[in-house]
Amino acid sequence: MSRIPLVNLDQQPESIRQWAASRGNLNVFRLLANAPRMFGGWTEMVDELFASPTFDARMRELIILRVAHPQASPYELGQHVPLARSAGLTDQQIDAIMGAGDLDKAGFGRADRVALDVVTELCTTHHLSDECFAAAHAIFGDDPFTELLMITSCYYGLALVLNAADLDVDVAGEPA
Amino acid sequence: MTRIPYRRPDDMTERARELTLERGNLNVYRVLANAEKVYPGWMLAGRAALTSPVLSRRLRELVTLHTAYLMDCPYELGQHKDIARTAGLTDSDIKAVISDSDWQTAGFNAVELAILRLTSELVTQHGASAELVDQVHTELGSEATVEVLMIIGRYAGLALMLNALDVDLDETARLPTLPTTT
Repeated sequence: MSRIPLVNLDQQPESIRQWAASRGNLNVFRLLANAPRMFGGWTEMVDELFASPTFDARMRELIILRVAHPQASPYELGQHVPLARSAGLTDQQIDAIMGAGDLDKAGFGRADRVALDVVTELCTTHHLSDECFAAAHAIFGDDPFTELLMITSCYYGLALVLNAADLDVDVAGEPA
Repeated sequence: MTRIPYRRPDDMTERARELTLERGNLNVYRVLANAEKVYPGWMLAGRAALTSPVLSRRLRELVTLHTAYLMDCPYELGQHKDIARTAGLTDSDIKAVISDSDWQTAGFNAVELAILRLTSELVTQHGASAELVDQVHTELGSEATVEVLMIIGRYAGLALMLNALDVDLDETARLPTLPTTT
């Protein structure tokens, strides 16, 4: 049970109702729509993150899971493990991203490993060493590296909101 | 030294440029504008937070400064120590809130203390006790509670980006106060 009441999406302004319906009426939307003045801006942000062609869905989900794990966010993990699987990450890779398997034996490429290192260092130390920055910058370049940080930042912060509310993971097929 | 080049406003799309200039053309914005496909949306999310009238500027700055301190983010601290002064916080308030525990005995009221405690638990432990969340929710209601949480999340996430890019604090430029929406 969420510690903060979830709004009834049917009773929200048209713009919020339509946006949420087109994206599955998830509990996270019902939580954040409590703050309607911030909700619209937040949706613009996540829409751009998901529409951007810079990373494929597999890399995006790899980054998100690597953030959700140290942030200990059951909601983000519950949502994104299935998304990661359908984006092409294997169960072995998903386990390894979440610390339950050997990264060296999971068949990750060089860019995958560098992205995983960046996220882990940032989430655990809140900083990035010169070596880790240099490796990531050499592989990704200015624009994609900054976008990698944007994805990390979004899910790092969102995990705090979700964890504070102790938000229930959506049950597939159950109307919100 | 900032680790990647700044984007010049002249080289941004019109929408990105407008959003950048409205917020004082700060280093944080010109560096994050490198992520050109997602920068406008990120700016709009921030704009919504900064223009919402739900939380007082004083409360927002308390949350921001405490988050910046706990995330060890020199850029956020540099900007918001100055901004907080324009939002009714005294020098001793500011000093207290950028410390591990001095804020607990610095004369903040009960609501402010509960919000600072929530910020502290969330940023350091990724979660908060049910009692504390309930207390803040009872005091503030759902809308303001979710705004507080979203502000903690936004500045915690932003701290990672600023620290990763080692962004230099602007010499004198500070975030201007945007008019609140009604």
